[in-house]
Amino acid sequence: MNVTESIRADAARLLTEGRAKMVIGYGLRNGRSVPVFLTEPQGADSLHYGPQCTLNLAAYLARPEVRRNAPLAIVAPPATLRSLVVLAAESQVPDGSVLALAVGPQEYHGVVDVAAAAEIVRKHYASPEVDPDLAARARELAAMTPAQRSAFWREQFAKCTRCYACRAACPGCYCRRCVAETNMPQWVSTAARGHGNYAWHILRAFHQAGRCVLCGACEAACPQGIPLMLLNLSTAQEVQEQFGAKPGLDPAAKPVMGSFRPEDKDDFIR
Amino acid sequence: MKVLEANKIGELAAALSAAGWRVLLPIEDGKVVRLAPWSPGAAVRTDVVPVNSIKDALFPPSEVIGRFGLDGGDFTVQEAPVDTAKTAALCVRPCDAASVSLLDTIFNWDFPDAFYNARRSAVTIVSLVCASADEQCFCTSVGGRPDGTAGADAVLRPAEAGAKLILEPLTDKGRALADAAGALLSEATVTADEPAEVPQKFDRPAVTKWLAANFNSPLWQKWSLACLGCGACAFTCPTCHCFDIQDETTRSQCVRYRNWDTCALALFTQHAGGHNPRIDQAARRRQRLMHKLSYIPERFGLVGCSGCGRCQRVCPAGLGIVEICQAIEDIQKVPAR
Repeated sequence: MNVTESIRADAARLLTEGRAKMVIGYGLRNGRSVPVFLTEPQGADSLHYGPQCTLNLAAYLARPEVRRNAPLAIVAPPATLRSLVVLAAESQVPDGSVLALAVGPQEYHGVVDVAAAAEIVRKHYASPEVDPDLAARARELAAMTPAQRSAFWREQFAKCTRCYACRAACPGCYCRRCVAETNMPQWVSTAARGHGNYAWHILRAFHQAGRCVLCGACEAACPQGIPLMLLNLSTAQEVQEQFGAKPGLDPAAKPVMGSFRPEDKDDFIR
Repeated sequence: MKVLEANKIGELAAALSAAGWRVLLPIEDGKVVRLAPWSPGAAVRTDVVPVNSIKDALFPPSEVIGRFGLDGGDFTVQEAPVDTAKTAALCVRPCDAASVSLLDTIFNWDFPDAFYNARRSAVTIVSLVCASADEQCFCTSVGGRPDGTAGADAVLRPAEAGAKLILEPLTDKGRALADAAGALLSEATVTADEPAEVPQKFDRPAVTKWLAANFNSPLWQKWSLACLGCGACAFTCPTCHCFDIQDETTRSQCVRYRNWDTCALALFTQHAGGHNPRIDQAARRRQRLMHKLSYIPERFGLVGCSGCGRCQRVCPAGLGIVEICQAIEDIQKVPAR
């Protein structure tokens, strides 16, 4: 059986046995990969899997319309598995409420719970694959002076219309009320221009520090072509360097930006 | 007829710039093509639908509509000047030009919008007949055509397999632009190329009829599960026109902004008291469809969608107007039992 056939068989089985009331997977419409929400085993043939399946389906786990169908099962390539582990670590996935149909670039790992998903990630996908071009651009950016880097991002963020597709496509952005939209007090200007755009994107990147699984869903979702992965990768590298943290490996991990270790190498905070 | 060599679009832009116009053209910008101010050396791309439309020049994502504050003990109000630089928008897609006719109606329906109208009067729209369309284009399903001229002040028609462009002025603004182009245009007789073929994808009047009777259909839930609730569709749409007013204050001064807003976001209808009448994403997605294809037809006799296909191209979940309209058509094809 190939990966698509395995996913179909397992999805149908989970729904038949009642282990999942909804399976979230990928389907095809007019040649495009689209999310599919399956509640009947008969529909399993609509599931497909291939390299064009880039949307991180874990983004749907926060949506009330989807959550009310728990227990859920979700088709999960490595980045989505990492998202599941991060969400579990942040108490966003109640125990036993989500199963993963774990897929790799070539292979199918089967139906797993969050603990087993973390094991698969640690064993096979401990380091996210980073596109060499992206890594090279991140190095160029790191070599710039702070003023040059700031000018680069100012130009990129000027394109933002504040549609928040980056936020919506990100499994890690699950706040019920985003700080970018609170107005008592207003922290971030909501006007799609200069300082408001800059503040929004830096705020998003900081909230993702140590949590971003580098799935690329935000950049793929951005209609304006803003290179968000460059920001995410730079932040992730910084977090790994400073705190040795790699998100998505351990469902019991404490969030890097939300915890403190007495042996922290900096003393300004003590 | 007046004819321009197709490879002289840059020269036309330069000539108009020199004559004091701000020139907008579809220009390559990294991974996207954007309708943006032209400058020498810009890579003009007319082969794809740009990510934004001419709407942005008439109704920008954010604009200052007023300033006020306290000077000493006195409350002062300052007018917000509107940028009314004389603008030529070249190679605008016919679907986007057609959208402007709708925007004109919306922004002058019950109250003439001074900001929109000031920008609108400063812009000359020169559309370019589509030589190619992609699989997301559906203008012919919503009353448009790849060679339609609605909303345009002048139209460029490709001829001789795209080597030449016939400039056909349609309004006084268009004639003024043709005069400004001067020597770049030559008098010649050429035959316009066949425009792109855009197959009709659904029966729009039938969809409108179904919508009017199916506000409470359970199908909205099914059709909206995949909607992530972002504004990518609305913020690239040439006809979406909803906005929010935000006051940004410092201790004694206030800037009043008008920012794009969209029914796709939960906050759009969130009441101060905590209630949200659009309770879930299904209600929000339904609103977008209803507004474009039911309420606008009912109120103005127009269609609130020009078939540009941007919503489908940009949706992270691959959703769009066509997919729902086709689903609606499929329901109607099922014989009643």
